[in-house]
Amino acid sequence: MRFVFNTGRTAAQGAGLERKTSEEYQKATSVARMNPVDMMDLEIEDGERLRVSGPAGTVVLRVEANDGIPRGTVFVPLGPYANAVLDGETHGTGMPDYKSVSVEIEPTDDPVPTIPALMEGIGGVALRREE
Amino acid sequence: MIHRDMVCPFCGCLCDDLVVETEDGQVVQVDNACTLGSNKMMGAWQHRLKSPVMRDGGGWRDTTYEEACEYAAGVLLDADRPLMYGWSSTQGEAQGIGVSMAELLGGVIDSTTSVCHGPSILAIQEVGHPGCTLGQVKNRADLVIYWACNPTEAHPRHMSRYTTYADGFFMENAFRDRKLIVVDVRKSDTASIADEFMQVKPGGDYAVLSALRAIVRGRADVVPKTVAGVTKEQLVRVAALCKEARFGALFFGVGLTMAPGKYKNVRNAIELVDELNRHTKWTLTPLRGHYNVYGSNEVFTWMTGYPYAVDFSRQIAFYNPGETTAVDILARQECDACLIVASDPGAHFPKQCLEHLAEIPTVLIDPMQTATTPLCRCQIPTAVTGMDASGTAYRMDGVPIHLKKFLDLGYPTDTEIIGRIFKQVKEVKHP
Repeated sequence: MRFVFNTGRTAAQGAGLERKTSEEYQKATSVARMNPVDMMDLEIEDGERLRVSGPAGTVVLRVEANDGIPRGTVFVPLGPYANAVLDGETHGTGMPDYKSVSVEIEPTDDPVPTIPALMEGIGGVALRREE
Repeated sequence: MIHRDMVCPFCGCLCDDLVVETEDGQVVQVDNACTLGSNKMMGAWQHRLKSPVMRDGGGWRDTTYEEACEYAAGVLLDADRPLMYGWSSTQGEAQGIGVSMAELLGGVIDSTTSVCHGPSILAIQEVGHPGCTLGQVKNRADLVIYWACNPTEAHPRHMSRYTTYADGFFMENAFRDRKLIVVDVRKSDTASIADEFMQVKPGGDYAVLSALRAIVRGRADVVPKTVAGVTKEQLVRVAALCKEARFGALFFGVGLTMAPGKYKNVRNAIELVDELNRHTKWTLTPLRGHYNVYGSNEVFTWMTGYPYAVDFSRQIAFYNPGETTAVDILARQECDACLIVASDPGAHFPKQCLEHLAEIPTVLIDPMQTATTPLCRCQIPTAVTGMDASGTAYRMDGVPIHLKKFLDLGYPTDTEIIGRIFKQVKEVKHP
């Protein structure tokens, strides 16, 4: 099903900003909030996972029901997971489409990747060392 | 030891009433800060990188500040089109050296503005900025609008320090006398406490702003029954509230700058405020994210004439957002080296840009391991301004505030590190 992909701040995402290697930050940014009616249509329960495919790629996120999200929209906290599906188009303004990209969503059993895994997929080398 | 009146280096509110307790070089308690600020203060002394690190084959090794700075200078000197990006969570003093270095190198310098309120600046350049200080809002505003933003989660003390829950000098009972309108595409936590919540269909802000302008101008007759999901009744009610206010303050977030229409949405909001100023007093303020992103715009403007995305490759300052902005340069794979200071494009840039960042020599100056760390070749840890370094930052209303130091952990400041790199660049470029 197609959805409008909206990103933005959440308190948990902001609180984790100084510890991006932590599990809390990873959890806070890898969640997709969705209207419960849309979740019914997708036959997916709270806490299950979905695959989101956008113009730049695909990422697996955990779903969370939220009545405040209008139908047809999915809200993902800003961070490495949200950006994994976005491309660099800015329409001549310098600003990517962080709030208006159209994505395809389907349920999946695949695991949510870690942030180091995401970065290694892009071509990086993770610094695996605990603080 | 108790440190009073400390300034919070998290968001553009720059709350300056924090009480921080330290013991043996550790932060043990933070009072008055919001959850975001206290998490930064409580954690920032213990999660630092211990020393600079460098990529070594398929892994990483520790290195010295000398080697790291030399590497950074070498990478920048070797590049044909270096990009220097970030500059929003650092001191104004470091930003100044960054501009000088970009000029000498013929590089591009851009701040995180380009992916937050850059479009707001484009709109302000077109139609001006009817702004004021947050103190004016706190003491005078009897109507506050939060448009396309969620201060409860992104600027948690904005409402208690400056708007809804703050006392006002010119108001008898500020909490009761102030009305709150929230406009958003989703019912956020802020929306749930509003007197009026206007839920707009995604991408509909421009149409709603235009409808409000028409109604304020006395042309409600041209407005259809619903505009982007908002009923005409509600639009008329909101327009009346706006006109009746003695002092209205419109705050807006990146929900306007990132949505379709981008800077044109902000331009329309400014023109609505302009229209309302024919009836009563209204002001408009962008809610700025990083604590010193406003400072980067100020420093860049004093030094180059432009607020962000400044390109020195023509030997004069050139500015063209959409061309000289960091996301566009990276997406076009145009830069051949990158210096990132006090920001995290790894977490906040589209994937396409990160792929290029991982391919070129990228140097990161940041106290902590971030999502950018795996993408860079070398990271240099520095002191956190407002904790173990002092410095200047600009609040979201353009007021410069001196951040104080209350810890000594032995890290060099951003100004020192960028100064050292600049010195080596000068030795080659300007002997």
